Amino acid sequence: MASEIFERDQHLTFLQMMYQLLPSPYQSQEINRLTLAYFVISGLDLLAAPDRLLDKEAVANWVLSLQAHPRSKSELNNGQFYGFYGSRAGQFPQEVNDNGALSCSVSNLASTYCAVAILKIIGYDLSSIDSESILMSMRNLQQPDGSFMPIHTGAETDLRFIYCAAAICHMLGNWSGMDKEKAKEYILNCQSYDGGFGLTPGSESHGGATYCGVISLRLMGFIEDDILSKDAESSIINVSLLLDWCLQRQAADGGFQGRPNKHSDTCYAFWIASVLKVLGGHKFIDKKALHGFLLACQSEYGGFSKFPGDYPDLYHSYYGFTAFSLLEEPGLKPLCVELGMSAIAAIGI
Amino acid sequence: MTEREMGSDEEQQWVPFKNRPEWSDVIPVEQDDGPNPVVPIAYKEQFTETMNYFRAVFKADERSPRALQLTTEAIGLNSGNYTIWHYRRLILETLEADLQNELDFTDQIAQINSKNYQLWHHRRWVAEILGANATSAELEFTKKILLGDAKNYHAWSHRQWVLKELGGWENELDYCWELLEEDVFNNSAWNQRFFVITRSPLLGGLTAMRESEVSYTLKAIVAHPENESSWRYLRGLYKNDNWSWANDPQIASVCLKVLSANNDCIFALSTLLDLIRHGFQASKELRDAVDAIRNSNLVEAESDLTKTICSLLEKLDPIRVNYWKWRKSILCEGAK
Ligand SMILES: [Zn+2]
Repeated sequence: MASEIFERDQHLTFLQMMYQLLPSPYQSQEINRLTLAYFVISGLDLLAAPDRLLDKEAVANWVLSLQAHPRSKSELNNGQFYGFYGSRAGQFPQEVNDNGALSCSVSNLASTYCAVAILKIIGYDLSSIDSESILMSMRNLQQPDGSFMPIHTGAETDLRFIYCAAAICHMLGNWSGMDKEKAKEYILNCQSYDGGFGLTPGSESHGGATYCGVISLRLMGFIEDDILSKDAESSIINVSLLLDWCLQRQAADGGFQGRPNKHSDTCYAFWIASVLKVLGGHKFIDKKALHGFLLACQSEYGGFSKFPGDYPDLYHSYYGFTAFSLLEEPGLKPLCVELGMSAIAAIGI
Repeated sequence: MTEREMGSDEEQQWVPFKNRPEWSDVIPVEQDDGPNPVVPIAYKEQFTETMNYFRAVFKADERSPRALQLTTEAIGLNSGNYTIWHYRRLILETLEADLQNELDFTDQIAQINSKNYQLWHHRRWVAEILGANATSAELEFTKKILLGDAKNYHAWSHRQWVLKELGGWENELDYCWELLEEDVFNNSAWNQRFFVITRSPLLGGLTAMRESEVSYTLKAIVAHPENESSWRYLRGLYKNDNWSWANDPQIASVCLKVLSANNDCIFALSTLLDLIRHGFQASKELRDAVDAIRNSNLVEAESDLTKTICSLLEKLDPIRVNYWKWRKSILCEGAK
């Protein structure tokens, strides 16, 4: 039987368990271990967990141990990316790097975003990390069309990694890591005929892609906050179509779907509602209906599932917490939707 | 959750590397998790051992058939790890391997889990090398995946990439037609249709295609007026041409037709609102029709048509009641 309230204590227990040890089904996501850590640590922060639940020093040391360092400044132009490794699985001691013909494991833009976000959440002084090598080498990942690759050895390029790059630059307070104009052009090409954004130009509008596109434009300063109360018509994006598309994603069951004619899914209550928040259209959401859907996805042992009645997972749990924060649930800190962390952490107090 | 593991049959048959004679010369390299690891993962034995041997061959940069086989096993367990995939490509290059086998390999991995970015990147790498010869195989491959999951985002991205880079546009509009015949609510197929009519070098672009596409879409709308996808597509056909949108009599008449049969169709009402916003002048017939719907829904009369439509939408689309109220309020501001 679904609970009628947000079970904060159960969620804290769930996150604590995950912090101690992730169950074996997560092994196939080991490459994203920093991302999994971000969900746990940012989740604990959003739930205003007592300080004793988190050893901040241990977290900072662990995160910093995953940073890739160039051997010299001249290496920053060799085409490689010196960010953070996603996990320990492919990280080798330096002497192996020196001897081996392979340039061993590679750091990744998404992991780098998560690493910097974790450090920011635990209040680590970001000015003390080597941000120059991150930013200088990040430029190697940007493509002529403005999109970003996540790793320098080649991979899919799309809006997700523009978001990661923009969030990194924003958090480090330095935009030398990317060409904003080019990124903007790419994002604008991703706005689809229906008003939403696809991951690449021509692809189907999607809640996650729409978040990445709109929030990146916001972080780069190309669109204003609360644009609906200002001059939406003169914006560089089609705001009225986007607003209509976003609001139409709230389905009859109260939840948000990622694309038209698909089932509602917990995580889109973050992706879509965040876009609405930035546009100033959050007030149009049927909050009561959304609340009901999210509670149906809440597990009795803590955490949230993708669909009502499924088993919870860390990803949907985290976005369930952020969704409740956007609904101004007591006991949760307010959210900075642009960075995906509590507003207090984002300000840096 | 997107991760899946190998079936239990394979797990039972699995022979640890330490018991395999052909691996006896290799010393596995354990993962060094360091002091105070955060979110450690409870790896299963098979996963740990496979990755330990992977690290050993990777460290030695061994590019051999057995290393290739090892990456097959490691990818089966850890398909998100791009380092393994990258290493596999280095081995394939060194061995000058037959890439047709890679198509079968990615096919198998896709059957376990097709929602994996690395898999599709690898597939693209293979197709790039095979060039135009790969076109039909790639289109068939995505078709097979879409048969099981017609909205698979990865498969659609790959398909669009194949069309753009390798070609094969000839039957794409027919393929969209087929998918929409099967399920007219498939928004991915509508999107692909838009992709084809705007980008196919064989069709002449949006303006050339508009007339035939509008008539196709209007039929789809009349058959299923509750389908958001077809309404959005219709609007998309007039992208960057609001004048034609507001002045094409077919659009207002489909709204009228739909509303006379389904007087609660929110897409027909919101389309009317959009038409008026772009300069459309409603006929008396249309005004009367909207008024009749207003009456039957027990909605109070408003001073003008757009406000009446907003009031109707407030009633008929209660989940977005605040949105429609706001739309009505900005109409008032505009009138000032
Ligand atoms: Zn989801």
